[in-house]
Amino acid sequence: MQAWYLNENPYPFVPQHVLDAADSVRGSLPNKYCDPKIAADLFEEALDEYLLCDDIGINVVSNEHHSGINCLFGASPVILGILARQTRNVRILSLGTLVTVRQDPVRVAEEYATADVICRGRLEIGFVKSGGTEMASGNMNPVGNLERFWEAIDLILKTLSHQDGPFSWEGKHFTHRHVNIWPRPWQQPYPPLWAATGDPETSAELGRRGMVNVLVFRGPEETKRAWTAYRKARTEAALPEPGPDRFGYAAFVYTGETDEEGMRVGSKLLWFLNTGLKSAPQYSKFLPGQIPPHLAPPLYRSGGAALRPAAALMGLTAEQAIARGLMFAGNPDTVCRQIREFQDKAGKFEHLVLASRSGFMTHDEATRGLKLFAREVLPRLSS
Amino acid sequence: MTERLSIRGMELELLRRGAGRPLLLLHGFEPVSPQAPFVELLGEHAEIIAPSHPGFGRSPRPEDFESVYDLVRLYLDVLESLPYDAVTLVGLSFGGWLAAEIAVLGSRRVERLVLADAVGIKVSDRETPDILDVFNASPAEVRRRTWHDADTWAPDFDAMSDDELIAHHRNRESLCLYTWHPYLYNPRLRRWLRRIAVPTLVLWGASDRIVSPAYGRAYAEAIPGARFELIEGAGHRPEIERPEAFVERIVAFLKE
Repeated sequence: MQAWYLNENPYPFVPQHVLDAADSVRGSLPNKYCDPKIAADLFEEALDEYLLCDDIGINVVSNEHHSGINCLFGASPVILGILARQTRNVRILSLGTLVTVRQDPVRVAEEYATADVICRGRLEIGFVKSGGTEMASGNMNPVGNLERFWEAIDLILKTLSHQDGPFSWEGKHFTHRHVNIWPRPWQQPYPPLWAATGDPETSAELGRRGMVNVLVFRGPEETKRAWTAYRKARTEAALPEPGPDRFGYAAFVYTGETDEEGMRVGSKLLWFLNTGLKSAPQYSKFLPGQIPPHLAPPLYRSGGAALRPAAALMGLTAEQAIARGLMFAGNPDTVCRQIREFQDKAGKFEHLVLASRSGFMTHDEATRGLKLFAREVLPRLSS
Repeated sequence: MTERLSIRGMELELLRRGAGRPLLLLHGFEPVSPQAPFVELLGEHAEIIAPSHPGFGRSPRPEDFESVYDLVRLYLDVLESLPYDAVTLVGLSFGGWLAAEIAVLGSRRVERLVLADAVGIKVSDRETPDILDVFNASPAEVRRRTWHDADTWAPDFDAMSDDELIAHHRNRESLCLYTWHPYLYNPRLRRWLRRIAVPTLVLWGASDRIVSPAYGRAYAEAIPGARFELIEGAGHRPEIERPEAFVERIVAFLKE
């Protein structure tokens, strides 16, 4: 098994009364609440954690969200450039530049090719469909997002792999008459590809394309459903059976010396769900184009259901998060056992993404958890 | 009662009511409700032809049909297909944008134009949005700013049937598809409003805070000879909040 460290670099230091009064902690929270000096410290700690991972054999993940306390990595390619230069050993996954909120996929491909060359072929490219507040902060139409997603990917892949001089793209969502990037990527025809989704239809398309399907905080049932759709689509297309290296899972992971420590410190990760997900209805359940209209009536009625699966996760305790397969926490034996149990339910996967720092967890706590995981858990999962 | 209108392979839900001079009514964020009192009142003076835009109400939307450009051309086809030499074109809100675009193109079939709380042009400077962002603003703010008296007129979602809520959600999705960017306006439209050569009435709810009366005045000033009138006690939907006043103004304009 390969481990991948993800620190979304949240900014939790906004007064609670401000967060309570805000209808959304992303998208619309004024940035006067973000002290750049504190942000600088957070960037330094996060980058140091990534450099530690480079030494202890945990791959690193750079992600992207915009305009909120949940993630300071809005300008994701900048972070990717730093990781490409400063790490020396591990692989680097971008998960990812939000291609549906970028006007020009050619520029995205150029950034990826540059990072892949700087790190001499250690880059992996992940695609994320995006949605919610990202549509407002990215100024992009939420209706047609999925169609834009695939067209952006197609254009990025052609841009990365085309080597014979300028080509022209006149698509539905993107036009670019003269595409010819320098440098071309180190890896040929392009770096390994991932996408994060739990939606079976999108997973099926990933299967046909052979991309790594990573699920983020979805639990074993949803994960199994997505991977079943992936396998089925490959079978139907007469493509070879996928190995475990085509599958990944992202969970909150914290390894302590004892179960008590693992749970106590690990439960700090749930800030991501309990505080970082708060989103106003216009960015979530009422965002056009997110669900088919025939499912909409409960959204409008008093006491109606939440839309995004994430919204149903707010308020979980550590015990509940573990029981639902969203978190692996405890001493090394316990963490190992929880991960194996998850694999028994969902299926074998090669890539475990460790969401192992969030909220008010300190840099020291994150560092200790990572070292213990690398020393005591990872070797056993790999054997 | 609703009928269907077939137009070059497209099927539109159609509300037809009343008798008199023909009037093509283009709706705003939601299709015209057959139960709306203004329909009955206006139908005493005019034959109302009110299709639902593709993607709204029960009108299907073809997959490759997704811009205001498509809607404007569709309604040019509709105008050509009606068995009248000329009609009065009435546009409400979003439909007002479509009506203004059609009038600018100079269709021979349009003899009079009424724009009510219309969107479609850019008036203020680059840092002042003219039109409330109904997708990025909170639902409570949209409700407050749509109506003069929201408690009386705003829809009660709890009292709506599944079918009505599904239609409401679909209407919103279609509006978003057509109008997200630039948001509810065409940057080129204002300079061409001078081409409108038919008598034009610009009606505005005095309490409209989706798009203000000042914007309505600017709209009227850009159309040669257009008259601007306010309807007191109404917000963005004067046809709903003040049906008598709304119909009176239109009827008076038709008689001129």
